[in-house]
Amino acid sequence: MNPISTPGSQAAGRWRRWAWPALGVALLCYLPVVLTERAAFGVALSNMQLLNLGLTQINLMLIAMLGALSLNYLTGCAGLISIGHAAFYATGAMTAAITGTQWGWPFPLVLLASGVMGAAMGLLAGLPSLRVRGLYFVLSTMAVHFLVVYVFLEYQFKFFDVVGVPYNPAKLGPLELNTPTRWYFFLLPLVALIYLGLSSSLRAREGRVLMAMRDHELAATAAGVDVRILRLKAFGLSSAIAAMAGALFAHYLTNVTSEAFGISFAIQFIAMIIIGGMGSLAGSLVGAALWLLLPSVISGFASQASGSTGIVRLLLVENRAQLVQLIFGMLVIVFLIFAPGGVAGLGRQIRERFGSKGGR
Amino acid sequence: MLGQVLFSGLALGSIYGLVALGFAVIFKATEVFNFAQGMFVVCGAYFAVTAISLLGLPFPLAILFIIGAAALMGVLIHVFLIQPLSGRPMLSVIMLTIALSIAIRALIEIVFGPQGRTLTTPMPTGIIMLGQLRISQLHLTAALVSWACMAGFGAFFRYTSVGLLMRATADGHEAALVSGINVNVMNRLAWAIGCALAAVGGLFLGQLQIASTELESIGLLALPAVVIGGMQSIPGAIVGGLLVGIIEQLAASYISPKSSDIVIYMLLLLILMVRPWGLFGQRELGRV
Repeated sequence: MNPISTPGSQAAGRWRRWAWPALGVALLCYLPVVLTERAAFGVALSNMQLLNLGLTQINLMLIAMLGALSLNYLTGCAGLISIGHAAFYATGAMTAAITGTQWGWPFPLVLLASGVMGAAMGLLAGLPSLRVRGLYFVLSTMAVHFLVVYVFLEYQFKFFDVVGVPYNPAKLGPLELNTPTRWYFFLLPLVALIYLGLSSSLRAREGRVLMAMRDHELAATAAGVDVRILRLKAFGLSSAIAAMAGALFAHYLTNVTSEAFGISFAIQFIAMIIIGGMGSLAGSLVGAALWLLLPSVISGFASQASGSTGIVRLLLVENRAQLVQLIFGMLVIVFLIFAPGGVAGLGRQIRERFGSKGGR
Repeated sequence: MLGQVLFSGLALGSIYGLVALGFAVIFKATEVFNFAQGMFVVCGAYFAVTAISLLGLPFPLAILFIIGAAALMGVLIHVFLIQPLSGRPMLSVIMLTIALSIAIRALIEIVFGPQGRTLTTPMPTGIIMLGQLRISQLHLTAALVSWACMAGFGAFFRYTSVGLLMRATADGHEAALVSGINVNVMNRLAWAIGCALAAVGGLFLGQLQIASTELESIGLLALPAVVIGGMQSIPGAIVGGLLVGIIEQLAASYISPKSSDIVIYMLLLLILMVRPWGLFGQRELGRV
């Protein structure tokens, strides 16, 4: 039954619509304080209560969110499966090294240059899609990945050393990003901006055309969509974002080697979007969060269990990294078999089940 | 020198051909692009370590153990992981095999430790001199056994009734169902064979190098091999494996050891752009 809409209830509705996001933003702004001081509103929190998280993990999560968002845009929304996403990260990192470390450009320009090079690389990587589809195209992305990482490896050994490629500290004008808190307040609006940009593009005609191409390419072509240009555009945009994320990643770590961009790096993004839900941008945020934060949580449990013996010790203490990998492999498998829509799909199901009871 | 390189390329290529054959069998039967095939190779090496070093079985029994364990693993994977995902989009299945390889790798490293284990078998490891060529007996054994396996499976597919049923199932699932063939059993058989072939490859690679999870990247070279040869073609997989082995050894000797993988992937890219259905494959026709 529809309540009668009065000016009072309208105002209340408007207020309610703004209240939740405002609360969320306030919490997000307070988060770094909680994590650095390990206390909330004056109450000290133990490591376990904070899930063994630090601001570093949150920042890495934000950077990974960029990667997950761009991959979901490409794979979930445009239907172009790519397992070479790490290659674009590597492209961004290499461009950042050339323009930043070697040529000394300022940080904002370095980011821009990484984005442009990423887009160019994406266009190149998308070219095989003009010739092959489906499985063969996936293989071409795999080949592109290995090629780009090899180029990065050669670059690293030619200009730098086996210890890795160093990066200048990131500076936004006079402000230097040298604490995790500063990085947090730089990355958070960036991620939000890109998320809003991508989701509004998906709601517009451009996005609908993309999804039409994903769902039935021939029908989309018959409806007048130039799928070839569209594919290249999707690749370019997604790779530009990923390359910028790669530059940010490199600057955050201040030193990267080519091993950081192995195929398992690319695979983890696919795992993120599968867990989060393909095609759902919000889902990829959740997937990235889970992926980055779960190892810390497990490490937290491990340090608690350091006294115990037997199989618990074997799993948690000595083989912590392998345990994380095992859990993630099995998590992805479980999601694929039982919840193919990912977390977003589960959320949708929950909402449908409980929403319909209230009625409209 | 060139003859040397060619010979080791042929020997390694025979092993790749074996792994690629297993891959092609799985792909032809269930249309699953098994990214975990490289991990199955590693499993084979570790089954060998278990059988020989840990259980102390005599060599013939060890071989049976390896093949049996691998076949069982293949069947279980199909029953619990692949069958529930039938009809799902390709990315799901690919990602499942990738996740499977991650999980298996982690499990192996937890159980056996992250370092590799040396594998000692009674296989001959000496060198035979043939004129100017130094031929490693191990390479020769690996090549001969691989060829024997490939020929054996070729004969199995062509001449036995089970092989005929498998080929029929691979050609058309619905038609096979209607003819009364138990498609699930055929698929499980395909997975068992694919896994077992990879395991035998792992046995040899583990002996040639060391039984470790790093063997996965070598096993993954079977993927370009299958694509180059033609994904739906059994002889194509074998030829692809041989080509990959030879090219890899040539690149490692004449360019640089690091570049051998890259040359293979560049070749893969080239084939995908020029002739994606491979040397022996058939052009796929799409249905609107």
